[in-house]
Amino acid sequence: MILINKKLFFLGISLIVLAWLSLDDLVDDWGQIEGAPEKLQTFFSESLFPPDWSVLEAEVWADGSLHKPNGDVCNENLELFCSKAWTGMVVTIKMAFVATLIGFFFSIPIASLAANNMAPLPIAMPARVLLAGLRSLPSIIWALLFAIALGFGPLPGILAMTLYTIGYLGKLQYEAMEGVHNAPLESGLAMGLTHSEQLFHVVIPESSNHLLSQLLFMFEYNVRHGAVLGLVGAGGIGMYIDNYINPPFDYNKAFALLIVVFVVVVIIDLISMLIRSFVTEEGDVKRPKWWSVILPPSMAVEMYSKKEEE
Amino acid sequence: MESRMQKHLNNNDLLALNRIILRSHGDGCLRVDKTPSRVADNEAQQIDPESVTLRGLSVGYDKPLVFDINKTIYPGDTIAILGSSGIGKTTLMRTIAGLIRPLSGEISHNYPKRGGIGYIPQRLGLVRHSTVRSNVALGARTRRSRWYPFWFPLDQKLKDDVDNAMKALKILDIADEPVRILSGGQQRRVAIARTLAQRPRIILADEFLGELDKENVNSIITATKEIVDEIGATLVLIEHHEERAIELADRIWRIIDENLIEEGDSNQ
Repeated sequence: MILINKKLFFLGISLIVLAWLSLDDLVDDWGQIEGAPEKLQTFFSESLFPPDWSVLEAEVWADGSLHKPNGDVCNENLELFCSKAWTGMVVTIKMAFVATLIGFFFSIPIASLAANNMAPLPIAMPARVLLAGLRSLPSIIWALLFAIALGFGPLPGILAMTLYTIGYLGKLQYEAMEGVHNAPLESGLAMGLTHSEQLFHVVIPESSNHLLSQLLFMFEYNVRHGAVLGLVGAGGIGMYIDNYINPPFDYNKAFALLIVVFVVVVIIDLISMLIRSFVTEEGDVKRPKWWSVILPPSMAVEMYSKKEEE
Repeated sequence: MESRMQKHLNNNDLLALNRIILRSHGDGCLRVDKTPSRVADNEAQQIDPESVTLRGLSVGYDKPLVFDINKTIYPGDTIAILGSSGIGKTTLMRTIAGLIRPLSGEISHNYPKRGGIGYIPQRLGLVRHSTVRSNVALGARTRRSRWYPFWFPLDQKLKDDVDNAMKALKILDIADEPVRILSGGQQRRVAIARTLAQRPRIILADEFLGELDKENVNSIITATKEIVDEIGATLVLIEHHEERAIELADRIWRIIDENLIEEGDSNQ
């Protein structure tokens, strides 16, 4: 028999029941499910598949010359560099980079005022409300507002991403800051360090791993949202996706572009893992390699112990 | 209640206990008296301006752990606080450090708010992901005005002091290592070096020597004493080893049943 905490067990069961009741309350017509897989299959096979990889090629004009999507003549060595996927992705990545960096610089001080181990409640509450306010409008609504004010193009997209980044990243950051050990903060407080000294010499180094991973996650998030922000004319790869999912529909090309976004997100994730390996404590601990799982246990243990001796 | 407490006390302690019970408003229950006691008033007339005065101090979180402390810490004193665990030694020290408010009574000193008090918590309070040097430099930072921007590098004099503190505690060769990879003894040296680089007026050290071995203890004590004498700081320590405390300190405070009793104090 599995030994399990009784209270925890009943809590889990009641949560599941509650979730089921809410779902049942929300859904009026369970008949909707009928035929859903078939419909999806039709959509996939007729509209999406196969992805149209012509988005990775430059535009060919009537005279046979290659052109970039904005009309310039393609002078690159590789045709890919003139394609919609490449140019759109580059714009999106640039937008996300600028927005994430500016957002980070503004969110760190606000988050330090919102963390309840660094600031008293009368200061922390307004800071939290400010972050929640910036966060509660999704970046697409911000983009809409800025597109109205500034017109179309990357600038409203960048501003929208920046504001949303401050709200979202700030929330993650003050939670990371609240997770810092109390002892360094206390000795700093007794010593008489100022708020900014506490922030930059104690809290940021202590939570650097979290802050960095959140920063990289926010960059990835902004790249993904670049695909959405295009819908309101904010430039980047999203603009091309938007063109293809509106009439005249060209889902195959939109699908190809989405795959490009997916690949870039995976690459960013790998880079983030690499960068974070410099600040995590994992480097101090020896861990078995991933391929040791396919070896028989005896061999794996032997190899691992041999490595330790080195 | 009285008899239950008396079982654990010797004569000397009973005298201290009586003083509280006399002030217990006649209804038999111990109550914190907010007026400063007579003893403290007498002391107040002859305080050294550099000293720390505890007047009618009661410390604790929700309910008091130690009652009615009337003591003066004179500059240059070395005080060891003894007592079994959970009795309020750390709470008393945190109250003196200004981290928690006293439940009643007051602490008065004229030390600067910035850099006047050096506090080494039990868990050392080091920035684990920073190097040894930047941890020690954190102490030296408090010696310049709080209006310096935090990104300004330390000037040469402070940098030399950081190096000297590290040299005295023999951690100069690991100055650029992150603190998290160091051993417990090395981390303790870093914490002490940080406080010494700060040159505070009073050093409050919770479990100053921790569980260090004999050899380490001796070298740390010599190094600390040297700098402490040079800067003329007061040292307040919490110690578990009684013989070590007696060897180190010139005043012993003992917390027994919610009272702070000074050994060899004729006032009590």
